Amino acid sequence: MIASVPGLRDVGRALGVALIAAVLAVPAARAQSGPSGDADAFAPVEEYARKVEEFTKNAPNLQKKIEEGTKAIDAQADAAKARGELEQLRGVVADLLGRVSDNGELSRLGAKALDNARNKLKALEADTRFKPEERQLLVDQWRELIRQTARAAEDLDKARAEFAELVRTLQTREDFIDELLQIKRAAEAIKVMRQLTSDLRDASEKLKTLIGGIRPPGA
Amino acid sequence: MRVTIGLLGAALAACALGGCESRDGNGFVQIKTVPASIVTQPAFYLDSQKLDPLKKGEAVLSRRVGTTKLQVEAPGGNMFPLCEIVVKKNRITTVTVSIIERPPRCQCTHSAAGAQPNRTCIG
Repeated sequence: MIASVPGLRDVGRALGVALIAAVLAVPAARAQSGPSGDADAFAPVEEYARKVEEFTKNAPNLQKKIEEGTKAIDAQADAAKARGELEQLRGVVADLLGRVSDNGELSRLGAKALDNARNKLKALEADTRFKPEERQLLVDQWRELIRQTARAAEDLDKARAEFAELVRTLQTREDFIDELLQIKRAAEAIKVMRQLTSDLRDASEKLKTLIGGIRPPGA
Repeated sequence: MRVTIGLLGAALAACALGGCESRDGNGFVQIKTVPASIVTQPAFYLDSQKLDPLKKGEAVLSRRVGTTKLQVEAPGGNMFPLCEIVVKKNRITTVTVSIIERPPRCQCTHSAAGAQPNRTCIG
């Protein structure tokens, strides 16, 4: 039913790799750039990396919850309970989708981090304070940081597509269960109507018997 | 007093623009454009909020529960309404916009019952 779940693991792994690479690249860049106010340029990248890490940590929980939920749904014969489980799962996935949505916190931070890093790179390329080889070293470090940040953003794009698909799958399953519940309710209504008809017939028969049994006085 | 009103106004504006958590919760709007490869895409608006250019012709946006109007900026800066999108809690409503047509046209994955096809998309 939830075929796209294994893909989340890959996304989480890719995010982790990107994050580790970004974090490893960062101290080197900071050490090279020195204490001359460059921390401001780095701060958005750092914040973005931290948020991506938080998000990555949440992904395995989600997968576990989905697996548990799927087992619970498979084991349940009660459609209403299964619907409740799906709704709960959808809430969990929606929470994560909200974080990686295009107007979500991570996307905004990612765009800001990339902008700052690109501006920093541009400024460094025009900076004449350093020797050419020193400048080249700094430029290379920032280019690597930009590459890693862009890769993290791409991984989040994939996660967004994955979660969007999951939400859609879950809501479609819920809708299907809703349709089944409606059929069940309609079937129950028909059963009630049949019972009523049968009761009416019984009452009618009894009434006929009663009427038939009435004799005029003296008959 | 004036400062308090100003802060309250700013908070409300930020809430309206950012699509903050409302009492009824949030859902999602997925906008896809076809063809996705067109270089200059029209500017899209959800109600009066201008959207960032769509990456690879697609965007998934968090949105407060309710009905939102998808519009496109027409030449001259006027807004041209394309369709309405019903956002439900924790659900995703997908709309594909054919931008090769003039004016662009919505194609709802699911249209609301009773409404004209592709006028009101539901999730």
